[in-house]
Amino acid sequence: MSMPSVTDRMPRRAAGVAAGLFGLVGIVVVASLVAGAWPMLGEPRSVANLIGAVWDPLRGRFGMAPFVVGTAAVTLAALLIAVPVALGAAVTVVHQMGALMREWTLRVLAVLTAVPSVVFGWWGLQMVVPWVRNRVGGPGYSLLAAGIVLALMILPTLSLFFAQSLGQVPKVLREGSAALGATADQTLLRVELPVAMPALVNGLVVGLARALGETMAVQMVIGGQTALPRGLADPGATLTTQIFTDITAFPPGTAGHAVLDIMALLLIAAMYVLVRAAERWGGL
Amino acid sequence: MGRGRRLYGLSAVLAALGLAGFALVLGSLLKSGLPILTWHFLTSSGPGGIGPEILNTAVLCAIALVVTVPLGLMVAVYQGEYLRRRSRRVRELDHLRATLMSAPTIVVALVIYRVAVGWWHWPVSLMTGALALAVINWPFMVAVSRSALASVPDSYREASLALGASRFETVIKVVIPAALGNLIEGIGMSLARLAGESAALIVTAGVNVSQHWSLWGPGETLAVHIWYIRTEGLVSGRDAEAAATGLTLMIGISVVLWLASRAARLFGRSQGGYDGA
Repeated sequence: MSMPSVTDRMPRRAAGVAAGLFGLVGIVVVASLVAGAWPMLGEPRSVANLIGAVWDPLRGRFGMAPFVVGTAAVTLAALLIAVPVALGAAVTVVHQMGALMREWTLRVLAVLTAVPSVVFGWWGLQMVVPWVRNRVGGPGYSLLAAGIVLALMILPTLSLFFAQSLGQVPKVLREGSAALGATADQTLLRVELPVAMPALVNGLVVGLARALGETMAVQMVIGGQTALPRGLADPGATLTTQIFTDITAFPPGTAGHAVLDIMALLLIAAMYVLVRAAERWGGL
Repeated sequence: MGRGRRLYGLSAVLAALGLAGFALVLGSLLKSGLPILTWHFLTSSGPGGIGPEILNTAVLCAIALVVTVPLGLMVAVYQGEYLRRRSRRVRELDHLRATLMSAPTIVVALVIYRVAVGWWHWPVSLMTGALALAVINWPFMVAVSRSALASVPDSYREASLALGASRFETVIKVVIPAALGNLIEGIGMSLARLAGESAALIVTAGVNVSQHWSLWGPGETLAVHIWYIRTEGLVSGRDAEAAATGLTLMIGISVVLWLASRAARLFGRSQGGYDGA
């Protein structure tokens, strides 16, 4: 657009200042974490210390491997449970429901995405932890319990995205497939899912990010053990829960706090990679 | 059901499984919490009451929203209405927004703890908590505003500009009114999300309620209260109290979302607005 009018200059500047401030927030977040992490990142010995498996702050051992493993295991378990269920829910919503029922289901799903994570944590303590203790063994507080709680937590988000992705598949494609003699199953597997794939990937990434970043629901049921877990029934900790439990234990300026800053940087880097991955392989 | 529809049957079973999971959550919440959810519980303070927590939750959410709604809208207007659509700066701001939006809230708390508590010597208080919530909600509000503004057809803008209106007049008098329904619905969603925040607030606003209420005093919210009495507290009947607090929070969130969707319809919600992202 040419000819920017005089009355437009001030509002444009104001909006630009807001966007600049927004950028500043991003810079401050990363810069303050890097500044805090610097003492630990500087020397090779401490980097070797950081990738180790022993977390013993009193002896100066800051191995982050237990938390990276915990985060990966919990997130993976949550996705393995939630993705099939969400796909099933999406197929049911899109194919088996009338218009009115579908609209209401989608609305309820949207409300369920807003259920606070502490409510899931409370439920985890109430039902999942005892269930794991009785059925699988161990103390009950475990990576498995955290995975189950997280799975339920991300289920509405995943279902909503998957339902929207499948709903966007043009009707002509389905009808064409049926006209060629394909069964409903064949149409679903060979036409609808491939066509919806970019949008499905997008939803998967959003669910993955929520699982990866969740703190409270996981903290309440995972047990907070800092040793490297050997199985899903073992208690453990994740990057987020360890930041949460140690944030006041190690005041800023100590080596322990610097390690928390490094964990936070790892999480932000992971989120940035997910954002770029969703852009590259997802829809939109 | 014919032979080629096995996957539909499997899907229905899986969907029922998910539904059962949520029925378990809501059912156990109702079973434990409903018996002690009384007027006295909602209004009194101290053990056996959540009056101060309700107040703190409302105040924190209100401050965070008042700050972030205009700021989020301004960033979205800058990106969508002033910059060229596919410019580098729009993409960079989108990356920043998406990354901040998915950043764990405990990471935001870590930063606020260093900057506000460490450098500026703010106490662990409602103000510090409000600052954390504002940082958490700003990217979400940008996203809500971006998709609300994007739902307004370009023909509206072109007509307004062709009639001689400036960009700013077009935004204020044409685009925002047309996007209002979606905006309101998105604001309702962000309010619900803020009300449920706990991790960041435990660190920045604390787990106590102060005797003399002040913005610079500690301010436990409903969501924090659930966590605190269930995992750290030593009071008897903590399961029921946590559940009743959870129920209160869920009812509050549902009312907010319902009101927002009613208001949104009043102002004409169009297709393709807030989509749960």
